[in-house]
Amino acid sequence: MKNYELLEHTADLKVRFTSPGLKELFVDSAAAISDIIAERKDVKPAKKSKISIRVPLVEGADRVEDLFVDWLNEVISLSAAKEMIFSDFKLIKLDESGLHIDAMGEAMKNFRINTEIKAATRHELKVNRLKPSPRWQAEVIFDV
Amino acid sequence: MSNAWDGPLEKIDNFRWQIPKSYKGGMRVPGIIYADEKLLKDIRNDKAMEQVANVAFLPGIVRASLAMPDIHWGFGFPIGGVAATDIENGGVISPGGVGYDINCGVRMLKTNLEYDGIKDKIENLVYALFSDVPAGVGSKGDIRVTQREEKEILLKGSKWAVEKGYGTQEDLECTEEYGAIAGADPGAVSERAFERGKSQSGTLGSGNHFLEIQVIDQLYDRDLCDEFNLNLGQITIMIHSGSRGLGYQVCEDYARDMIHCLQKYNINVPDRQLACAPVDSPEGKAYLGAMKCAANYAWANRQCLMHLTRQSFERVMNMSWEKMGMFLIYDVAHNIAKIEKYTIDGKEKNLCVHRKGATRAFGPGHPALPERYKKTGQPVIIPGDMGRNSYLLVGTKKAEEETFGSTCHGAGRLKSRTAATKDINLDTLLKDFKSKGIIVKASGRGTLVEEAPQAYKDVNEVVDVVHNAGIAKRVCRMRPLGVVKG
Repeated sequence: MKNYELLEHTADLKVRFTSPGLKELFVDSAAAISDIIAERKDVKPAKKSKISIRVPLVEGADRVEDLFVDWLNEVISLSAAKEMIFSDFKLIKLDESGLHIDAMGEAMKNFRINTEIKAATRHELKVNRLKPSPRWQAEVIFDV
Repeated sequence: MSNAWDGPLEKIDNFRWQIPKSYKGGMRVPGIIYADEKLLKDIRNDKAMEQVANVAFLPGIVRASLAMPDIHWGFGFPIGGVAATDIENGGVISPGGVGYDINCGVRMLKTNLEYDGIKDKIENLVYALFSDVPAGVGSKGDIRVTQREEKEILLKGSKWAVEKGYGTQEDLECTEEYGAIAGADPGAVSERAFERGKSQSGTLGSGNHFLEIQVIDQLYDRDLCDEFNLNLGQITIMIHSGSRGLGYQVCEDYARDMIHCLQKYNINVPDRQLACAPVDSPEGKAYLGAMKCAANYAWANRQCLMHLTRQSFERVMNMSWEKMGMFLIYDVAHNIAKIEKYTIDGKEKNLCVHRKGATRAFGPGHPALPERYKKTGQPVIIPGDMGRNSYLLVGTKKAEEETFGSTCHGAGRLKSRTAATKDINLDTLLKDFKSKGIIVKASGRGTLVEEAPQAYKDVNEVVDVVHNAGIAKRVCRMRPLGVVKG
């Protein structure tokens, strides 16, 4: 089952992510981005390379939200710059200094590209725990 | 959950509506929306109006937060928003007021080809363009550049392409800012932005970007058509693209950094996507220098795309592009911030004019225009959706007086992509195109449905408003014959 759903927004793409916990939210949202952008072509998987993705946690009032949107943007930007689609995300560290997730990257040419995501925006951004449950939910508008 | 807006709206005249300053504490000026009653109904259906009010919070904003009739819900600024800030008076610049696709814009070429003479070749032309012009997500251009050359593009814009042999001096004259805005600072562009832009020169991109073969089907102003040398049945070409990954990254880099400026400069805005900094601050200057780089990249990109288009036509028609009269009419930016001079309360001021989904529309005699358009006013190119019409208009003095020389930029979205995908059937859509004689080739699977005519407002209604409100003047209308979509 997909852990994200598409919501209504006139021009862009609004997505709601739901995960069992905060750590999973970071991992699942990145996997969702790959799923939205691309679909594997019917070809033999190419060699994958390990990519370390790190996002620092900066001072500010909305730390979880900032970290979350910075994380999504790092995934989008790195995927475009390296021309790779990422999978197999593994959380290495989430603490006061920031976030470190390792992923496997595969050349974009092995995928059919469905959507170009320009960036994750901060407009109507929501990241919160679904209290009293340990689950976390985020809503993000992407410019596509 | 409904997104409809039910805030206060006062009628100024048949084409202008005001959101009073009193609507929200913190609004420095009122909001003014250009629309008629019919368009207004659609505009109220999402949160675009709220965004017009939010933009009115920007420090230094003068006169009003403006919206064009193609306005729709964006992020931070509405799409179709115009805001000018007074630089000497703490006026700010906001990356969200320009958008991710910096200098997304459109150019229009004329030809001396007649519809009757080439109607049997349209299909070949569309297939040739589709194979010659790299389109689609992350597509790579055949025009490969080194990092040193990429820096040169950021400084020289279209001139770089012309020096490489991809166009002529005349093309530069027929481009806003002559294809290169002064003050670009490659030092303000991140390594990641360079990396994202490296392989994308001469690529169309995806989403709403397109290349279209059109035919003129209606003339509105005979004298202006004569000035532009345009007539019924004449073939024209439109190219819509932007700064690709480089621009997206410049916007994101600065949208993120400027969040900290809100506290630093004690700025109160109701939406973090409106993060901004005074134009005169180090952060504002750095963004402006980087934004200009992306703008120049976009102009070079559209110049390369036009070169590829001319080559495709040459191959199919077996004739030189000059002989086919494939001359550029004009190229306009519709996502950009510019420093322009206006008289406010009797004093000449340097304003930072944000056009987010809006086109510059300078009237006759404006000093920024090349000699050839001094008499007509600036050509304003308005693409519609791929099933209906597109327009050529000219700018007016009234636009300079009322809207900081700005007008609409297109049809404006009506339906979300998700709604379009749900409501529109691809087979029916393809049949519709076929019955209208429109040949369409698209590289993205979902693009056709997401970008279907039903997902957009009727551009004819949008253009009626800007024409009747006097913030642009209709010259002629085109209809599509062949469409290449990213």
